[in-house]
This record gives sequence, structure tokens and C-alpha cells, in this order.
Amino acid sequence: MENVYLPAVAEIAGVREETYDTTTFTLKFADPAQWAAFQHRPGQFVEVSVFGVGEAPFCLASERDGKESFEITVRRTGVVTEALHELEPGAHVGVRGPLGNGFPMEEVKGRDIVFVGGGIGLPPLRPLIWEMLNSRSDFRKMTVLYGARTPADLVYRDDLERWREREDVDLLVTVDAADEEWAGNVGVVGTLFPKVSIDPSMTTAFVCGPPIMIRFVVTDLVALGLGEGDIYTTLERHMRCGVGKCNHCLIGDKYVCTDGPVFSYHQMKTMMDPG
Amino acid sequence: MQETATVVAPVAAQGADIMYDVVEGPDQVAWGYRSSLTPLKRFLFPQVDPLLRWRASSGNGFEVEPTYDEVERIFLAVRPCDISGVLFLDRVFRRDREDIYYLKRRERTTLIGLNCTAPGDNCFCVCAGTGPFLSEGYDLELTEIDGEYLVEVGSEKGAELIRKSDALFAPAGEPLVSLREEMAREAEQQFGEHKSYFAAALRGVTFDRVPEDLWDELGERCLECGGCSFVCPTCTCFLTADWADARTGERRRLWDSCSYECYSREASGHNPRAKRGQRLKGRFFHKLSYQFAKPLEQHGCVGCGRCVTTCLGSDDMPTVTARVRRGAV
Repeated sequence: MENVYLPAVAEIAGVREETYDTTTFTLKFADPAQWAAFQHRPGQFVEVSVFGVGEAPFCLASERDGKESFEITVRRTGVVTEALHELEPGAHVGVRGPLGNGFPMEEVKGRDIVFVGGGIGLPPLRPLIWEMLNSRSDFRKMTVLYGARTPADLVYRDDLERWREREDVDLLVTVDAADEEWAGNVGVVGTLFPKVSIDPSMTTAFVCGPPIMIRFVVTDLVALGLGEGDIYTTLERHMRCGVGKCNHCLIGDKYVCTDGPVFSYHQMKTMMDPG
Repeated sequence: MQETATVVAPVAAQGADIMYDVVEGPDQVAWGYRSSLTPLKRFLFPQVDPLLRWRASSGNGFEVEPTYDEVERIFLAVRPCDISGVLFLDRVFRRDREDIYYLKRRERTTLIGLNCTAPGDNCFCVCAGTGPFLSEGYDLELTEIDGEYLVEVGSEKGAELIRKSDALFAPAGEPLVSLREEMAREAEQQFGEHKSYFAAALRGVTFDRVPEDLWDELGERCLECGGCSFVCPTCTCFLTADWADARTGERRRLWDSCSYECYSREASGHNPRAKRGQRLKGRFFHKLSYQFAKPLEQHGCVGCGRCVTTCLGSDDMPTVTARVRRGAV
């Protein structure tokens, strides 16, 4: 019988500072055989242990690209994330996963794709964006809308630059509050919708961000005419065990960790939420 | 029995309380008890349960080893509600991803039940279909009849126990078996007003027909002590925490309670169940809704009445089901 609580040891192979409070860690399993079993896809997550401090869930922030390693992007905000930020390359952590269902990809082939990311909501979308760009001809128009609180909160500046340079994807970035150097759009991410053309019947949207942003963006998308089954989001809950046992992430009878974390808006509407 | 396993039975604890605990001999067993303060849960799913240990190593950073409890245990004179509680835990921990820590203990468990000939003060097992007499789930089941015990065999494990001490047993005649049936009927009749009617409450919770105001009102009375979860035979919410020094450490699983404010709070500060009423609603949805009762083959209450004894705010199962039944729209 498998022990679903036993983490595999992984080395921090790289650390990249994204913002003043957010860092991307590259993790590589100490035992290479673990990598073969680690068949992850966009939208899934891992439980990462800082031994002696605790364990917390993080979305997988990288696509499978043959590097035998994966990335998580972590904002310093709690006990485990504080401890993670103290670690340097060469340090070891524990990893359980990949966990959760992941985004649909096959089902949305041939459609226009709109990604809407808010703040630390871009990391779960990033591997999906790259995997779709890597099989670009399977999809029609691709648009990335990204909003952050301030220019200093923007993550993945290299990716943003590469998407901006590509002709086969449109990128629009906005900030809630500009600084002196910011020449781009100012306002919440929803203010970008009038700047792009969306064919509602042909479009599937992937939305990630803080709960309040998801609520507004989903309302906007429905108003634009998108189908409730064509809007996907990842739900944020404190998934402690990640395997449907500890009950902390329950929404009605749905375990965010095993039934999700990716849900369509149609599914979300039918979920009985005590919270 | 004691030669091959640790024996756990009801024993007199402080005051008038009875607890299931390890016994050294038959004299310690409180045979005539009505119900115990806590269920068997802590022996199969301990309040503090070591899951794994690690050691810093030069090569891989850490060597991680799981820690398993492989003690053989015989549980003696267990009330039907508590055996039903274990059967419920079996389904919870076998559902989807199996929980190796629970199942390793369960494989090494023998359950010897003791049917109830009279209810305790807060008992309502008749409403949950888990007592006062049990018809399945045990390895052996005892019914006290005039100072002797009628023994029913429920499994090969139970049969083996009988074979090992066959001098202690004699075949029971038909009159005794009929008497058992009569005793079961009499025991049921004694419940009288000690009842909690589930059906209407189940429907109210399942279809979300309970006004939010009622949850808020019930929530106002919750002291967030977690007592209901800790004494409940079917509550299994947990979290993990690490204990460590510079080179070694241990991860332990701890009981949690959905009544706590921090239960679903996230690192960002976002708390999807910030209000006590929401948490209470979540608790009773998990216990009573058809969405859970169907895959788990029973709603999450065995009618042991411990929440009635424990809850200082009367947010216990019979009270809440009664209020939900009346208040559902």
C-alpha cells in the first residue's frame, strides 16, 4: 500500500527573485527515479515540506520541458513560505505530488484562449500558457491579461517580455497603482477587457488570482457572453493533506485538492459552499 | 488474549467516567458500563500520531522514514455505537486514497462487542441504526444473559479466538438465541424520548434548505472548544505539525476541529469559513448530507450521544437536527 503522506526529498536547484516578496524555486528530486513518476500537468500542485517547519501546497509553475526539474513560485506570507525564502540553492525540501486534476487542454483545442491572471495568480497559468504556445497550431487566438497591484509586484518579467515579442499571443498588463516609470495601463485587470476583442462563443477563459478578483472577472466574462462551462479557475483553499483526507479544503462535498483545484464556473455555481 | 495482543476495554476513570484503556486483567474491565467518555478512535487514529521521521544526511539532504504502529490490539466489551464508529472510519480511510497508518492498525484489530440492554442518558443509536444490538461488523459479539455471555461469531478472526480457548465456551441453545432477540426488542423500547430524527434534517442539509440565520444562531452558541470533534467516533479532520532539532525531526498528525476559526484560514489571511455559523453549517453538511452519506454508506453520526455530554453550547446532534427539522424551508 502506498503511503500518501511520505514526501520525496528534492534539492533546491535554483532560486530566482521575482519581486520583493516573491521567489521562484527550481526543485530537483534527489532520486532521479522520482522524476519518472512525477507526471505533472498544468494546474496541478505539490505539497512542499520544509523539514522541521511544516508543509504547504503550491501550484506547479513550470511546464514539462525535459529539464528533470520543476518550479514553484512562492510569496513570503506564512510560516512555511518564510522558511522557504530562507533556503538557498543546495538545500533540501520534501515534495508530495503532483496532486489535483489540472487544466483541460485537449477539450479546448481549436478555440480562442484568454488567460486572466491577478498578482500571484499568474504562476498556475504560466505552464498552461507555455504548453499551449508549444502546440500553438492547436489553438486559435491567444490572449494573456495580467494585473498586479504595482509594477513592483509583476512576476515572470522574462516570460512577459517573450510573450510581448511573440506575434502569436497578445499580452496586456495592468497595475492597480502606477509608479513614476509605469507607462502602461492602470486599473484592475477587468479594465483590460474593452481593449481586446473576444468572440464569446469561440472563447475559453482561464482565470487565476485572489478570490475577489476571480469574482469580478468571472462576472465580466459572463457579461461578455462566455459560457459558464468555458470559464475555468483554480480555487484557493488551505489544502493540508492534498489527498482528500484531512477535509480542510472541502466546499460542500467537493475536495478542492482531489476534485480540483481546477473547476469551471459552471461547476462552482453548483457547489454548495458553507463558506 | 493477553499473550498475543494488547487488550483494550472499558475501565473506571476519574469520577464516574468510563474510558476505553489498556487492561492487564479481567478485574479491571468495567463490564456493566453504559457508555465511555471517548470512543475507540484514539487507538486507531491517535490524537497525536507520528507519521514519519527524518535525519539530515550528507548525500541526499534528508533520509525520510515512515513510522508505523504495528501493535496487535483486541478491543473488549465495545458498545455497538463504537463498533459502528470504527466501521465508518474504515470507509473514510479506505475511500479514494488509502490511509496506510489507519489501515495498518485496523488490520491488527480484533473487535469484541457488548450489546446494550439499556440506553445511557444521552444515547440515540436507535435513530442512527447502530444499536442497541449490533448485527454485523464485529469479530465477536457478547450479550449478557443472567451473569453469562451469549457469544456470536462475526468473523474468522473471532472464530479463531474461540477455538484457542474452547474450554470457556459451550454451544448456545435455541432458547438463548430467542431470548437475545427479545432482549434486543426490549432494549430498543427503553429509548423512549431519547431520539434524534434524522430523515428531515438530512433532507434540509442536503438540499441547502436551512436558513443561514439558523446556522448563525446555532453558531453564536459555539465556544470553538473542538470538544464535539474530539469525542465524535466519526470525526477525522487532521493537520500535521513538525517537531525537530538541528539534525532529526518527526512529523505528527494531530486531530483538528472544523469549529476552530483557523481551520480553513489561508496564509494570505483569506478565510472561507470566517464565521462560526458557516463552520457549523460545514460540520453538519459533512455529517448529514446525502452527498457524504451515500459514498460512506451512512450519515456521519452513530448516535453515541457524546456531543450531547460534551457541548457546552448545546450544538449537539439531537439539538441541531431538531432545530434544522423545524427551521428548514
